[in-house]
Amino acid sequence: MFKMLGLLKRTRGIGVITAFFAIVAFASIGSPYFLSTYNLQALTRSLSFVGIVALGQACLLLIGELDLSLGALAGFCGVIGGVLMVNLGYNPWLSFAMCLLLGAGCGFLNGTLVAKLNLNSLVVTVGMSGVYTGLNLVISHGRAITGIPREIYFLGQGDLLGMPTPFITMLIVALLIMFLTQYTLFGRYMYAVGNNREAAKIIGIRVDQIQVRTFTLSGLLAALAGMIMVARLGSSQPAIGQEWVLPSIAASVIGGVSPTGGIGNPVGAVLGAGITGVIENIIVIFGVSPYWQTAVSGVVVVAAISLDSIQRILSARRMNI
Amino acid sequence: MKDPILEVKGIVKKFPGVIALNKVDVSCQKGTVHCIVGENGAGKSTLVKILTGIYQPDEGIILINGKNAFDYPEVFEEVAYVPQELQLFEHITIAENLLLPILRTKSVGSHLVSKRKLFQVASPILEKFHIRERCDITVSEIPPSSKQLLQIARALATEDREIVIFDEPTTSLTAEDTKLLFEVIKKLKEENKAVIYISHKLEEIFTIGDEVTILRDGKKVGYARVKEVDKSWIVKMMSGREIDDRAVFRPRKIGDTILEVENLTGPGFLNISFVLHQGEILGLYGLVGSGRSEIAQSIFGYRPLKEGKVKLNGKYVHFKNPHHAIKEGLFYLPEERKYQGIFPFLSVRHNIGVALGKKTLKKFFVSLQKERSITEEVIKTFSVKTPSVETQIQFLSGGNQQKVIVGRSVSYPFPPKVIIFDEPTKGIDVMAKREIYSIMKSLAEERQIGIILISSELEELLRCCNRILTIYNGKITGEFDPEKAEISEIIAATINVTVEKESNEIIGVSRV
Repeated sequence: MFKMLGLLKRTRGIGVITAFFAIVAFASIGSPYFLSTYNLQALTRSLSFVGIVALGQACLLLIGELDLSLGALAGFCGVIGGVLMVNLGYNPWLSFAMCLLLGAGCGFLNGTLVAKLNLNSLVVTVGMSGVYTGLNLVISHGRAITGIPREIYFLGQGDLLGMPTPFITMLIVALLIMFLTQYTLFGRYMYAVGNNREAAKIIGIRVDQIQVRTFTLSGLLAALAGMIMVARLGSSQPAIGQEWVLPSIAASVIGGVSPTGGIGNPVGAVLGAGITGVIENIIVIFGVSPYWQTAVSGVVVVAAISLDSIQRILSARRMNI
Repeated sequence: MKDPILEVKGIVKKFPGVIALNKVDVSCQKGTVHCIVGENGAGKSTLVKILTGIYQPDEGIILINGKNAFDYPEVFEEVAYVPQELQLFEHITIAENLLLPILRTKSVGSHLVSKRKLFQVASPILEKFHIRERCDITVSEIPPSSKQLLQIARALATEDREIVIFDEPTTSLTAEDTKLLFEVIKKLKEENKAVIYISHKLEEIFTIGDEVTILRDGKKVGYARVKEVDKSWIVKMMSGREIDDRAVFRPRKIGDTILEVENLTGPGFLNISFVLHQGEILGLYGLVGSGRSEIAQSIFGYRPLKEGKVKLNGKYVHFKNPHHAIKEGLFYLPEERKYQGIFPFLSVRHNIGVALGKKTLKKFFVSLQKERSITEEVIKTFSVKTPSVETQIQFLSGGNQQKVIVGRSVSYPFPPKVIIFDEPTKGIDVMAKREIYSIMKSLAEERQIGIILISSELEELLRCCNRILTIYNGKITGEFDPEKAEISEIIAATINVTVEKESNEIIGVSRV
């Protein structure tokens, strides 16, 4: 028994992976449609958007912050992208890049407000979320901008090696985040800031800089998700991103990033997004009422957080604290 | 002899890989103070956790009032425990802190709480424990020493406990408050309570202890009546070998001026001027709250500086944040290890690696191998006791955490010129202290680093420093040569009392 508990404690990552495969196994045994190419493609394509946003959100959670405006920011960038490409007739690739920069800029603004004015990120980003949503509506008048150039459709609707491009994009982003957090000085500093801000300051880490850069990164990723969504829909919908924020936090936490900061690997967010995505998929293909979906997702989040806490209690007990 | 109120027989407690306690016996009488001493990791805190019912031992029995505590777990309620770390509610009033859970105190009639009544009940308790604060202010507004006394009061005030355990209660107390605490303990003795007192500070044992039990590596290695033994016996028992606790660690090769501070003024201090030389250890001695940490942190750029000049290595500097200070070779090791020093959930390797900067880079990426080898070097040089480099630092003992922090600061990618040690030996044992002293000495002598040592232990300063500056209320009140000065004069300077000028030992008030 003790051995088993110990295993649970040491292999935090493996716990999530096991849970993921268990759910996948359950789904494939329960329904013959689950493993069909069509279903897998639809599933991986749809979970990629929250996955990309969650990778940024997980980085923020790691340094002990969070950004509730990422969804609104993605929608805002998507609308601006529509305006640039359709109304102003800019080159779609240039517009795409400009929107990513815009997203980074919005993230930079959020981060600067948090770091330089020493504000609470929850409060700041709730406010900024309103700002981005509002601007979005002012510019779009609440209407979709159609007629997005077909060149960029590939990014949202296309396939590469049999996998949807958004999914491949998410995997590439995950790989980059992996290197950033595990093998660069910046990543080292992120863990330090998330663990103990004062100690980080004292050993000479510029905490505000780390905060601003991480916010910028997550803003950039949210804009990327927003623009890929535009490419997938073939139009700029003002509603893009509305449902992304809470799932992005849930995916991060399920993936093992502690909501209190400093613990976990942000790449786990991809697995987290995978688990919630598969569960939602199961509800659909098993023919359960879709109204159950929200409740089940909620249970998964609470269960994940409880597991996080239980693991910590066990590890503390093992080490005699 | 009277019957003991608390008897511990043959306690064994195992954790995976270690035996924390191995057949330990302790017995306590009413009306006596029983001290338990031992190095870090000797098993003291495990013993306390067993005595308070938090841990179940693997073997052995505990008798409280003659009753087996494992058959009658309610007898654990006789044990009051004053934890080492502050565990108070910062944002509610002193009275509420003292009386929580309020219902249990019988100070309120019904389920409605009357603040007035709370204050009425709390005031006499504050008086009894010498806490000179109003009971309607919040805990966040009172100084650390009052917090510590409040914590003690809380453990004892609300219920009639027969056994009281103090776990290193004086780590954040000033000398004066320690005296008050000892009076409280004496009062408890008179009330015929049994007191268990855990401490590193041997002087305290000789001041208030009646009996002493010494633990080493989980075993009881000695027991004596305090009157019948001396300090060196206890030290010998604790460490398992004979050490000279009077050894001096004063560096002997002093070079040119490295740091010059002129008329420094900021929140908490006024007109501070001094010089520091290469290879010198300069002591800053003052009470908690006298402004010593504030001075150091302002020079370091962690706190704002209003006025004054700092000259490091011949050039004027003004650090806006610690980052710049470290680049110029000025390092600061904080007093609050837990809040400002360690990254609790990260491994020892990560804790050190995070400060190494470019030293660990292989092209663009951090090389885990380089990180590991530097960490292993630190572990070896400073003899850090840790199961592995991947162990989370929160699981190391205080002394070992301190060594990691010291090791980290000398491994920065920028060569240190000046290191400020703020209470480096707070809460660590005699052997670890000696190691820190000799590390400081070798840093000063071999690498010609200027060291500022901030401490509230005069003995430590006398053994390590070339000069001692006394600080009182944010001002420098004197400069002393530790080899010649009269101890009473140094102490007098920290409370701003002048003693008769019969001896000419005072070198003179600092005028740099």
